[in-house]
Amino acid sequence: MKPDTQVSPIVRCRGVTKVYRVGAVDVPALSGIDLDLAPGDFATLAGPSGSGKTTLLNMIGGLDRPTSGTVEIDGQEVTALSSGARAALRLHRIGFVFQAYNLVPVLSALENVALTLQLLGVGPAERAERARVALDEVGIGALADRRPAYLSGGQQQRVAVARALVTRPVIVLADEPTANLDSTNADGLIGLMSDLNRASGTTFLISSHDARVIDRSRRHIEVVDGKVVSDDRR
Amino acid sequence: MNAAWSLLMALAWRNLWRNPRRAAITAIVVAAGLFSVLTLDAMMQAWAQSSRDATLELLTGSGQIHAQGWLDDPVLDHRMPAPSPELSATLNAAPIGGWASRVTVPAVIQSEYKTLPLSLMGVDPASEARISTIPDMVVEGSYLTGPDDGEIVLGRHLLERLRTQLGRRVIVMAQAADGTLAQRGFVVAGVFAGNTAIEDGYAFTGQRTVQQMLGIGSDISEIAFRVPDNGQLGAAVTSLKAAAPELDVKPWTALSPMAAAMDSAMGSYVWIWLGIVFVLMAIGIVNTQLMAVFERVREFGLLMALGMKPRLILALVCVESALLVGLGVAVGFVASAALTWGLSGGVDLGGLAQGAEYFGGSRMLYPHFDMALSLREAALIWALGVLVALWPAARAARANPVEAMSHET
Repeated sequence: MKPDTQVSPIVRCRGVTKVYRVGAVDVPALSGIDLDLAPGDFATLAGPSGSGKTTLLNMIGGLDRPTSGTVEIDGQEVTALSSGARAALRLHRIGFVFQAYNLVPVLSALENVALTLQLLGVGPAERAERARVALDEVGIGALADRRPAYLSGGQQQRVAVARALVTRPVIVLADEPTANLDSTNADGLIGLMSDLNRASGTTFLISSHDARVIDRSRRHIEVVDGKVVSDDRR
Repeated sequence: MNAAWSLLMALAWRNLWRNPRRAAITAIVVAAGLFSVLTLDAMMQAWAQSSRDATLELLTGSGQIHAQGWLDDPVLDHRMPAPSPELSATLNAAPIGGWASRVTVPAVIQSEYKTLPLSLMGVDPASEARISTIPDMVVEGSYLTGPDDGEIVLGRHLLERLRTQLGRRVIVMAQAADGTLAQRGFVVAGVFAGNTAIEDGYAFTGQRTVQQMLGIGSDISEIAFRVPDNGQLGAAVTSLKAAAPELDVKPWTALSPMAAAMDSAMGSYVWIWLGIVFVLMAIGIVNTQLMAVFERVREFGLLMALGMKPRLILALVCVESALLVGLGVAVGFVASAALTWGLSGGVDLGGLAQGAEYFGGSRMLYPHFDMALSLREAALIWALGVLVALWPAARAARANPVEAMSHET
């Protein structure tokens, strides 16, 4: 699905700055980011280590508050929300795939995927069905009853992708999802996310400096020293 | 909300067993603490009951009725008439299980060798046997046969001090109603063995014999009554006061303040022990939960990043603690109940019997598992256990998801 640039953006960042206080020194992580993401975007956020990629993802995901500027998700201003309201926003609108430690170790793959549905109050039968479908979509339906300790790194990331998508979020934020994977698993995961983006139209913003991820993306945003230095559509 | 709670329960239960050794040690600490509290409570209550019964069943009874002024100055001037029909009817009705009238006067007893002070008590042996254990404590000779019995029963220690023996005569002197000194010779018919104070302090003979000796007609000094259920004592005293408003009706707690103080002290010891157990248990729970929280900071960060609200994180840690403490409480409760029920047939103190009697207890203790009280104590331990987990729970709930997920464990 091609992104529709005429409709309202899913993500709108305006003048987003983030300054961390380290001892007595202010360290700027983001310096006035302006960024829009349209529905259906499959974008990568690239840049060297310490450039501010993860910080920007955290701002967009409502995991952290900017020092100044505003972030809107699907028309809702995030920065002014309380921590409880931001948690609710994440639950309803945003899917996350992290670099590591993505799954709850005491829950099976199926239960990990169903976890967010359970937080949303979905009934047992429906959430089991939706979680199973999501696991089938990422190709590991047969491993539904396994706990994370009995899954490979690639399988764990697929479970995380299934969990990110099962609530039908408006955007999936993935922070270095292939960093801990071998090339086969990394290729598989990128292909999977790309296919899901095309099939469902869900917006993906992936932080990565993995060339394979960047090659598959249809929009490439480069961040250096907390600023967007390029934003290329393909 | 139900879905969230079922998630919390599943997560909490599984998290509990991520470190089975730590969970088991904490549960055992809680179980041992509650077991000791409940079992100590049952044994202390049995001891208190035993001491109370041993004291009250000697002479005091559950309560006594006197003429006004007798308790301050127990002389013949403060005697009272035999119970009226109304008072008799109340004494013969529930919850009173037995009663006996007595004539008690200060007297001196004289043998060939010695003269000693004591209280001469005229009793009706039949009614006395229903409220006092002294008739069963006769170790030589026999107890009195009726209210007209003119023989005397003395304590063993008194007999030794008088340097006399069973079958010999003694003289008892007391002030009669007319102010003269009445005296009478008695043959020692029986010897009883109790504690030294009772053995030295009392001599028993027939009630009518004493009444005739003192010239008081059918007047008496006191009525002792027994209420089998101590919980009904207040009601019994109230009804007796109503039946005889001119008389002084007193429960045993007023007659034997020392026994009453010991009785209430037993309950205090249990609460002190409960406090000690709780402090030890709280340290264990806080330590366990803090370690569990610290080890799972990243996991809490993940859950919050996925949309779990801080109050659910707080609830998750509290539920884990509730399950852990609940498990220990259940084990401690069942173990204590089983042991107490197993011992309810009686615990023979055996070699400790002499010491037990010294402190006013009896050789046998009959522990009783008080279900309502035990449930209250167990619930208190459980609630306090959950309460102390609030601190580690609050720490988990305050975590910032970004910082938590970058936390190195």
